[in-house]
Amino acid sequence: MEKRHDRNSTIRKFFIVFLLIIQVVFLFAIFRENLQSWWTIASMFILCILILVTYLKGQLHHEDHEYEHILVVLWIPIGAVASFYLNHFLHFGPVISAAAVGSTASFIPGFNKRSHYLKQLPAAIYCGAFIGMSSTGVAPGISFVLTASFFTAILLILSKNLFAGVGGKLGTMAFAGVVITSFVYFLISSYV
Amino acid sequence: MYNTTILIIVSFISAMLTFYVNEELKQGPVRSSAILSLIVAVYFHYYAGAMDSYLAKNIPLVFIGASFIGMVSARLVSSYLLIGVAGIIFCLIFLHTSRFFNGYGGALGTSACISLLAVLSIPIVGKKRKLTNGMIQLRRVLFKINKK
Repeated sequence: MEKRHDRNSTIRKFFIVFLLIIQVVFLFAIFRENLQSWWTIASMFILCILILVTYLKGQLHHEDHEYEHILVVLWIPIGAVASFYLNHFLHFGPVISAAAVGSTASFIPGFNKRSHYLKQLPAAIYCGAFIGMSSTGVAPGISFVLTASFFTAILLILSKNLFAGVGGKLGTMAFAGVVITSFVYFLISSYV
Repeated sequence: MYNTTILIIVSFISAMLTFYVNEELKQGPVRSSAILSLIVAVYFHYYAGAMDSYLAKNIPLVFIGASFIGMVSARLVSSYLLIGVAGIIFCLIFLHTSRFFNGYGGALGTSACISLLAVLSIPIVGKKRKLTNGMIQLRRVLFKINKK
């Protein structure tokens, strides 16, 4: 029991630090491209400090750690492929594709209002839809989207009670999944 | 400047509107964000007409990004103003997003999360100020007693 608790708390810390790194890298990329503007540099610093304060003092997480069920995250690739298909094959553009997939998904719990399982699906599908918003320059094909969905699914399984109710959590997971996948693709293309 | 102002206003309204539909109309976070964005995106896709192409392209993107902020649960933020401010910060990040991350799915969500987390720190910092104000009051009281 003690061991399990220790493992959970390690996973929690790892995940929180990982998400912080992703966000700081995102801000750092902006910082690097705008070195000439003092205004941008100052605002990036202020943003970093404010985010750090929230990470350290905010009540963002539930006390007990839980894992998302695998049958829930199985819907991420479905959302991702649907959104990718609408975006690139039917040329609706990223916003309409993701929003259409999300809107459709949000009506799924209506099929059976007592089902706890169906209630969790819209978030997973909407999370997948963000992966499908990637441009073809980043995601050249369905295999990329499926790989990114796999990484995002792992992150979502680990983070069920972390950042609960924070807007943008799903987007950050999708972003992390896409970044990891393009990094893996980059490594494969440079060494193979 | 004109375009930037419009985008900032759009993200301010989008974040607050999504939060309203999410919490007051009880539609849930996913539906409120997705349906509002779908309406805006379809409108600008088909009926943009004579509108500036920069705005027609970016308003839907800013709208869906800012709507992620409105998906926040009322347990964390309940002030519409704070959510609106997060929307403005989101828009500023969006306008400066690095070209390196151009086309990455989820970049909008990450910007939204960053701006929301930045805004969530304001009540925490504010609380500390209240505490120091309390200390000042306490000191004043003590000081007065000493004077007597």
